[in-house]
Amino acid sequence: MLPLKLIACEIFYRELCAAVARSPGQVDIEFLPKGLHDIGSSRMVARLQESIDRVDGSRYRAVLLLYGLCNNGLVGLRAREIPVVVPRAHDCITLFLGSRERYLEYFHANPGVYFMTSGWVERGRDAGELHQLSIGHKSGMDMSWEELVRKYGEDNARYLMDQLCDITRNYTQFTYIRMGVEPAEVFERRVREEAGSRGWKYEEIDGDMSMIQRLVDGRWDEKEFLVVPPGCTVAPSYGDDIVRIAEPGT
Amino acid sequence: MSQFPELYEAILNGDAKAALAYTKDAIDKGLDPELLVNEAMIPAMDEVGRRFECNEYFVPELMIAARAMKGALAEVRPLLVKKGTKPRGRVVVGTVKGDLHDIGKNLVASMLEGAGFEVIDLGTNVTPEQFVAAVKEKDASIIGLSALLTTTMPSMRSTIDALSKEGLREQVRVMVGGAPITQEYADEIGADGYGENARSAVTLARKLVGAE
Repeated sequence: MLPLKLIACEIFYRELCAAVARSPGQVDIEFLPKGLHDIGSSRMVARLQESIDRVDGSRYRAVLLLYGLCNNGLVGLRAREIPVVVPRAHDCITLFLGSRERYLEYFHANPGVYFMTSGWVERGRDAGELHQLSIGHKSGMDMSWEELVRKYGEDNARYLMDQLCDITRNYTQFTYIRMGVEPAEVFERRVREEAGSRGWKYEEIDGDMSMIQRLVDGRWDEKEFLVVPPGCTVAPSYGDDIVRIAEPGT
Repeated sequence: MSQFPELYEAILNGDAKAALAYTKDAIDKGLDPELLVNEAMIPAMDEVGRRFECNEYFVPELMIAARAMKGALAEVRPLLVKKGTKPRGRVVVGTVKGDLHDIGKNLVASMLEGAGFEVIDLGTNVTPEQFVAAVKEKDASIIGLSALLTTTMPSMRSTIDALSKEGLREQVRVMVGGAPITQEYADEIGADGYGENARSAVTLARKLVGAE
């Protein structure tokens, strides 16, 4: 059987390497920068499409995307000569928690939670080379205190720092998701410290590798994954199943 | 040119102190508060919106101008109420259930206020029931729903459904916005309009109350 090509957000680096190591078949990974999430959905879609288009359809069985819908960052993606498999997930937290039901349940029971994993600790912050393109940068959300004071005066700088520059300003808790592939206490400690310095609550929960593993192993139940046939595109479903195949002509 | 160039300029430049000082002084001198709103505050915020649309102003400029306007408006509001001045319309806004991201919603609320609407801001993580109660209690003509996450978008649909269930859907126009929202989604859930940014939210609100 031909191998699988997996295009993944680097936020899954450790988990995906572990899952692929355990997979019965061959899976070739291409990691893309986490910063794609910060440049607006149309640019993100374009970058993902470039990666899909580079896959040699004669050498692979399917292209797997280790992404959620990610603020419509997958909308309009087209499968070329081989299928593209997309998890039914709003974002990566579903994949870290193993099911979208578990994510929604936790999400609604705990408003104001900022989830952390090893990947979010290591790679979650900086948009890197994509920084200049990021929405935050274009909206002035990343301006330093000095820059704000210079442009708007101290009084307005204080206001903007509080009102504009911190997207997490209404958050009250870090939840660290232990995936079991990373060394114990290395990441927990860092998140706990940051929670302390922000005055946030801190919680640890166990993650669940099974959904990532099922994607990698080729077990794509239609309740959990959308298989996009060649030539078709991804659309949001606006329902519980999150993604669907676009109607022809749309 | 505005009849009150100092106030107009202070708002445009986001100078909250100057805007407030001028307004206080004008009130002390017995100037008509309604005139201050209609001839300085609303035109200034219109100009701010225009500059934003033309990429002359960005979000920070928009926010500090709105802040200056709001300070001045708070000063004249009690006088307007006393005088019985009717707002252009009453808008209930909030981020939907589960969503705590309010930068965009706050911006829209400020711009609507700057356009002469009375805004009832329910804050963040607002349940359909809370939206329904506010619409009833405040007799709002528009409701503005905001979401940043696709995870919380379904709460927009449930809020519209809750309004229908309570028999309020006919009396209130629903507008939606936020990063993942599209016109297609607004149509799908039966909203009356979608605003791509704070400026278009104001244009839309004016249209919905028949002022434009």
